[in-house]
Amino acid sequence: MKRHVIVTGGSRGLGLAIVTSLLDAGYRVSTCSRSLGDALPPLLEAHGDDLFWHQADIGDAASTEGFIQAAIAKLGVPWGLINNAGIAREGILATLPLVEVDRLIQTNLTGSIQTARAVLRQMLARGGGGRIINISSIIGQRGYTGLAAYAATKAGLDGLTRALAREVGRRRITVNSVAPGYLDTEMSGTLSAGQRDQIVRRTPLGRLGTAADVVPAILFLLGDGAAFITGQTLTIDGGIGC
Amino acid sequence: MSEQNAALLTLIGQEVNRILADKGEAPVAISADTVFLDGPLPFDSLDLATLIVALEGVTGKDPFRSGFRQFTKAGELAALYADV
Repeated sequence: MKRHVIVTGGSRGLGLAIVTSLLDAGYRVSTCSRSLGDALPPLLEAHGDDLFWHQADIGDAASTEGFIQAAIAKLGVPWGLINNAGIAREGILATLPLVEVDRLIQTNLTGSIQTARAVLRQMLARGGGGRIINISSIIGQRGYTGLAAYAATKAGLDGLTRALAREVGRRRITVNSVAPGYLDTEMSGTLSAGQRDQIVRRTPLGRLGTAADVVPAILFLLGDGAAFITGQTLTIDGGIGC
Repeated sequence: MSEQNAALLTLIGQEVNRILADKGEAPVAISADTVFLDGPLPFDSLDLATLIVALEGVTGKDPFRSGFRQFTKAGELAALYADV
């Protein structure tokens, strides 16, 4: 029986790489995004009933609830949840509109708490066992000028990971964070050439990361070999934080 | 106790014993005065959360949708569901 994993924000970037790798590894996957995008349709065609997509905005509570319920109805109680959906808004905090701050918190933090809550209820009712992985960020650990509110949401995810790991560990449900460093994805497209050069110079491994650098850690944490790992944040940053 | 509350208490007892059975515990008699936590009932906070999820599944009701409501005993929980 293939295990079902829910991945939020799976239409592009790291989320898409996670979805693709999970399917290749033999999982059944439910994912959501605000729009279908170009990459998911061929995956849906190729993987049939093993991949379910639902239009949803994780920044909207009713939309998120609809996605989780639809995913469970389609593929059953999930083995795992990967809270990947997130947005970035760059701007000096003093001038960042509060509406953008609210949007960041709602999508990156509240939405993840909501999905974790909904999935945990199902995992508990099933009798326990499962994996929750929050995609946080090195920005939440080290900060970055212009990303204060974003950093707060990602640090919040790491706090969620530690507290929830304590709360549900006795039901064999593990909760961990994966904190990517600076990845070469659409979300880093807003970096200037100077910023990118600076990051590369400061990274011991001498480059930006890619989604392919991060996905293996997620596959490991989902697997049976990671049954005794919980409450941890695994930073994958090429060494820039060391 | 009203007929509705009695029926809900019976349902709570059934679900509590299902959860206990999953844990390998012996069945217990549930009364309105049964205390869920910190009493003789071999129940922890996650068992209680599991019970609430199960009750919502059976009754379609969520008395906690608008916020937390205090209860410690089975009879008090039955009254919350009867009140929805």
